[in-house]
Amino acid sequence: MSTRRVEVELVSDFNLEILGRYLVQDGLLPECSMRSRPFGQVYPALLGDAGAQVDFGIVWTRPEGVIPTFAAAAALQPIDIDAAMREVEAFADAVARYAQRVRFVLVIAWMSPADHRGYGMLDWRPGLGIRNLLARMNLALAERLAAHGTAFILDPSPWLQAAGPGAISRKMWFAGKVPYGNGVFQEAVPDLKAAMAGALGSARKLVVLDLDDTLWGGVVGETGWEGIRLGGHDHVGEAYVAFQQALKALGNRGVQIGIVSKNDEHVAFEAIDKHPEMRLRRSDLAGWRVNWGDKAQNLVELVEELNLGLESVVFIDDNPVERARIREAVPAVLVPDWPDDPCLYAARLMSLPCFDAPAVSEEDRARARMYAADRERRSALGQVGSVEAWLDSLGVEVRIAPLERADLARATQLFNKTNQLNLSTRRLSESELIDWASAQHRRFWTVRVRDRFGDLGLVGLISLELDGAQARVVDFILSCRAMGRRVEEAMVHVAVGSAQRAGARRVIADYSPTPRNGPCLKFLQSSGLTRTGGHRFMWCGDAPYELPGTVALVGPADHGAAYQGTEREDRSELHVASGAA
Amino acid sequence: MLDEERALDLIYDAVDEINGQLPADARLEKSPGTVLFGDAGVLDSLALVNLLVTIEERISRAGGPTVGLLDHVATGGETSEETMPLRTLGTVAAFIVGTRKACA
Repeated sequence: MSTRRVEVELVSDFNLEILGRYLVQDGLLPECSMRSRPFGQVYPALLGDAGAQVDFGIVWTRPEGVIPTFAAAAALQPIDIDAAMREVEAFADAVARYAQRVRFVLVIAWMSPADHRGYGMLDWRPGLGIRNLLARMNLALAERLAAHGTAFILDPSPWLQAAGPGAISRKMWFAGKVPYGNGVFQEAVPDLKAAMAGALGSARKLVVLDLDDTLWGGVVGETGWEGIRLGGHDHVGEAYVAFQQALKALGNRGVQIGIVSKNDEHVAFEAIDKHPEMRLRRSDLAGWRVNWGDKAQNLVELVEELNLGLESVVFIDDNPVERARIREAVPAVLVPDWPDDPCLYAARLMSLPCFDAPAVSEEDRARARMYAADRERRSALGQVGSVEAWLDSLGVEVRIAPLERADLARATQLFNKTNQLNLSTRRLSESELIDWASAQHRRFWTVRVRDRFGDLGLVGLISLELDGAQARVVDFILSCRAMGRRVEEAMVHVAVGSAQRAGARRVIADYSPTPRNGPCLKFLQSSGLTRTGGHRFMWCGDAPYELPGTVALVGPADHGAAYQGTEREDRSELHVASGAA
Repeated sequence: MLDEERALDLIYDAVDEINGQLPADARLEKSPGTVLFGDAGVLDSLALVNLLVTIEERISRAGGPTVGLLDHVATGGETSEETMPLRTLGTVAAFIVGTRKACA
């Protein structure tokens, strides 16, 4: 994760200073520096224009503090539900306006104090109960903010539950206008940091597991696959099944599963392939290293194979010695403490605050299948004589299209999560992307890739800035899973061709080095572009940049029509996206 | 049985909680002589109120007496810096134990 300190602003109707102090001091990433608005001035803070832009705004209010009709309801007065909903809409619109001034907004959902019984047994009755009203208000807030891709709502109820009997602090409220005990703020910090890390593109993407006594009970090498504890009339076996189901659920939100285990591979996969209670199968795994070698070394090799960074990885092992080994040898990997009791495994996994992402795309949900397809591709590489023949056998299709509304979430995800083949590594929110790409002198395309093994989905982005005879490639981004198939050269072909048709005779690409984007430099050095000193690469004149023979470029009409002479059409489509977003 | 040693342990737990909010160079030392009030006190008003309330809660949860540390401050219960019962962590512990005895 980037070590840049993020600027955070707190907006609240109560004294939120203690949360700010914990956010600054807790030691979790990202590090924060804090700006507090005077509490009690929620609407001026949300609607005002003053102040420098911050990375995150945290909006935490009490419903009775910002929704007058709810305050009346909390005082057990008869209320007008419609009036409450109008006030919620006004609040949501204020948050939406605030979201245009800060990069991301984290809104804490409203909650009623646990010690306010409201109408008791009538409290969920529509039109009367406080809890019914509050649920409707939260739902209306969520729906009103759903269109704003940089505003997220967090649920505080787990923080109150975890904080226990000290969650509500009446004395701190009367003495300092702090409604909650320290425990609530301490519990909130990991969730808030997870949301921040996710918004910044730093969510963990791969869970690497041990097998024996982690994925199943017992040692498969000693008992054989028939003897492991998994499912059946056995609470421990049931617990391992629940853990595997939790892992599959993570897979559904785009987190990949890998195996690193000290075992004989064929013995381990007998269990994975044959045991009837296994929930995770070979096709669910992004990759594995099952041998008797050092786990740290195996882990590093597996992560390299998957083209991920070590900071994307979570390692789970029941053995504290192995956990300590990974922590020491590969400190970028997150190694959570792990419970001794298998009954707690699933809950522990699902409570890890490191997988939060600002969007879940179809590409995320299909990632396990994509990695399985990639294993088949690598297998095919071993069966053909040369890399060129292998590339030819893949049947790579690259589809270029203008940025459309439906692609905004995925495009933003690529901006914020792609590190290796990324020319500028600039990070943009949806609104920032729309603003940037809407300028008349800019071009922006999405890149989709498929081959005979499957559809990789939207995996790349290209943007150009035109300036008379010169065009600059601003963004050149390709997901690691599409690298090495000459898609990169096809993207240069698209950029150069479009620039030349717009009248440019010089196309430049300024590489901005980071600790992670060495693969981008390596590609540029071998791309045929001329290095003109420093980190600038250039293509001059009218000569076309050839499309690789192993790649078929396809578009809405033909391979040229995606960019040939359709720049104005591209702009109009983008304007549609901009207007709607 | 709440004696001064046990009261100090609970006070130190509360100090840990407050120290989690403070930069390293501003954290309270867990020592009976650590000064809370007066020129030598290092906590700002919010942190001081938070510490006193947290101590009250921890004493209560441990089965100790209801001690009105914050009330004592609010009602001007202290006299001078040298003699006020909440001047240091150690005197707070003594004040709590004294409250227990008074209640007994």
